[in-house]
Amino acid sequence: MASVRLRGIQKRYGDNLVIKGIDLDVEDGQFVVFVGPSGCGKSTLLRMIAGLEDISAGTLELGDKPCNDVEPSRRGIAMVFQSYALYPHMTVAENMGFALKLAKVPKTEIAERVQRAAAILQIGHLLERKPKALSGGQRQRVAIGRAIVRKPEVFLFDEPLSNLDAALRAQTRVELAHLHRELGSTMIYVTHDQVEAMTLGQKIVVFNGGHIEQTGTPLELYERPANRFVAGFLGSPRMNFMPAVLAGEEGATAAVRLPDDSIAEVAADVGRARVGAVLTLGIRPEHLRLSQDATSGGGSGGSGGGIGATVALVEYLGDVVLVHLQVAGVDGTLAAKVNPGAAVPAVGARVGLQFDAGHAHLFDEAGQAFAPSRRREAAHAAIQ
Amino acid sequence: MNTKSTLGWTAIGAISAVLLAALWAAPLLWAMSTALRPELETVSSDFHWLPQTWTLDAFHKTLAAGNLLRWLFNSALVSLAVTVVTMAVSLMAAYAFSQLRFRGRGLIFALAMLAFLVPFEALLVPLFRTMNALGLINSYAGIVLPQVVSPVVIYVFKGFFDEIPADFREAATMDGAGPLRVLWSVYLPLSGNIVWAMAIVTFIAAWNNFLWPFIIVTSNDMMTVPLGLTQTYDAFGVRYAQLMAAALLGAAPVALAYIAFQRKVTQGFLAASGLKG
Repeated sequence: MASVRLRGIQKRYGDNLVIKGIDLDVEDGQFVVFVGPSGCGKSTLLRMIAGLEDISAGTLELGDKPCNDVEPSRRGIAMVFQSYALYPHMTVAENMGFALKLAKVPKTEIAERVQRAAAILQIGHLLERKPKALSGGQRQRVAIGRAIVRKPEVFLFDEPLSNLDAALRAQTRVELAHLHRELGSTMIYVTHDQVEAMTLGQKIVVFNGGHIEQTGTPLELYERPANRFVAGFLGSPRMNFMPAVLAGEEGATAAVRLPDDSIAEVAADVGRARVGAVLTLGIRPEHLRLSQDATSGGGSGGSGGGIGATVALVEYLGDVVLVHLQVAGVDGTLAAKVNPGAAVPAVGARVGLQFDAGHAHLFDEAGQAFAPSRRREAAHAAIQ
Repeated sequence: MNTKSTLGWTAIGAISAVLLAALWAAPLLWAMSTALRPELETVSSDFHWLPQTWTLDAFHKTLAAGNLLRWLFNSALVSLAVTVVTMAVSLMAAYAFSQLRFRGRGLIFALAMLAFLVPFEALLVPLFRTMNALGLINSYAGIVLPQVVSPVVIYVFKGFFDEIPADFREAATMDGAGPLRVLWSVYLPLSGNIVWAMAIVTFIAAWNNFLWPFIIVTSNDMMTVPLGLTQTYDAFGVRYAQLMAAALLGAAPVALAYIAFQRKVTQGFLAASGLKG
């Protein structure tokens, strides 16, 4: 096992700076997930760690040793590719043992290590097959097996589940988490799937435009996003946003004026903003409550039924009902998660939207989040 | 298009194919027919498609009197060497152009492709002077070396390698393979059919090459089959049956090789064209 330390890592293609100075520490045995939209640089950074891309500037340390110019095969790293990259002309056993063969490991030891890895992944019966005779899930296991036999200090995964169907993806996700517990290795996992990120990662690194937006545990990122990008990226459906104007501050609570001119309370420390500042209010779909009373009341802390809204669409997902709502002065629709057992309004119905001050987020004009006040921290502590 | 019209076009296509096949096969059949006649019958004024008297006499005399076996050996050795070296050089060059990133890659590839534009005839004198300076006149190396540079083969291999996902190369690199090992253990097996196709085509071209051996070889013992056939004519005078027998014997190995590997050649060209075989 080894730690991974990145300091000021940059990647430049000609004049185009695609990785803009990354500082990151991955501890021994930690499962870290790089997540972000397509083109954010997460895969490029993974390939730089692997040695498949040159590092334009900065320092990469693996186990406290500088590795910028070390050959990929000498970094103690194994990588699982999105396409699996299994050699089609070799059997599963040959695929898994190829790296050991190149390293001139004795045949008996190769066979032993391949068997051991195959046993862990339950693919012992597939060893003599060619990749074309395997299902997607089996290929994925072989690709992981190929990494395991090398006994690497760091595993790199580049969107390894993206070619699997939803059911297999969920199953393999669980198996990967189990594998990490069993091997105890350092693992860095790239995905654009936030569910994978939230369920697998001990630490999540959110990338955007070649830089890190936020680093933290899944719950930290979900409950206390540092900015509007992270808030909108994690969570499905995404966080609801609506424009708000800071109307005042009292203790641990900020009062904001919403598009319907109502006042809502948010548990946030808005000390750096002035009254009248244009802000963004963020509320996750599961924190929006629907009320039959559509009279304007500000949603939280106010009188009346809440923010007036019209039901635009209702989606029944089995375990939850998604209600999409139109609110005057808000672009697009807002989403609310409703328990299927509760009364679900019909499309076109007028409803009120309510939320708890402790579950709302406020972002300044630059999209940076205001720190939650102690009131909200207490609410989170209670949840945890 | 209705069924009647479709049938009509099919018939026209079939008849055209048969006519073209006959046109192609006629000289070969005539050569066989001539080789199986007595020498006297080949100059007879009476025209017959088939021999009036069937005999293998011309084959016996060709094998006994000429140096054909030696020329066959030379052709086999030269063609095999040209094929092996051309494949090795072209595969490595194509891999470098396709997969490696180095300064001047585009320029060097463009220069290699420019060789398409230079006819071999224009290179005869400089090549001959070079071979002479190296002391390679009348040697196997002298016959082989100028034939091993093939831009078209490099171009075909590069195109094929470009289509192989880079993940394979990167996975092999992570596994500890250097460029040559990646080429040998991953790209070559994945390109099996196209390599076979190019190898057969190169072998046939080398076997049939007349011009360069004609320039570089003066010794009868170093001649290849196409060159030796001109000597057969000189040795036997106007003996058409023996000339045709020598031509057929000289062409037989390469024809057999093509027939043996025909499937691989077809699969290779289908693979290169992107069609499924």
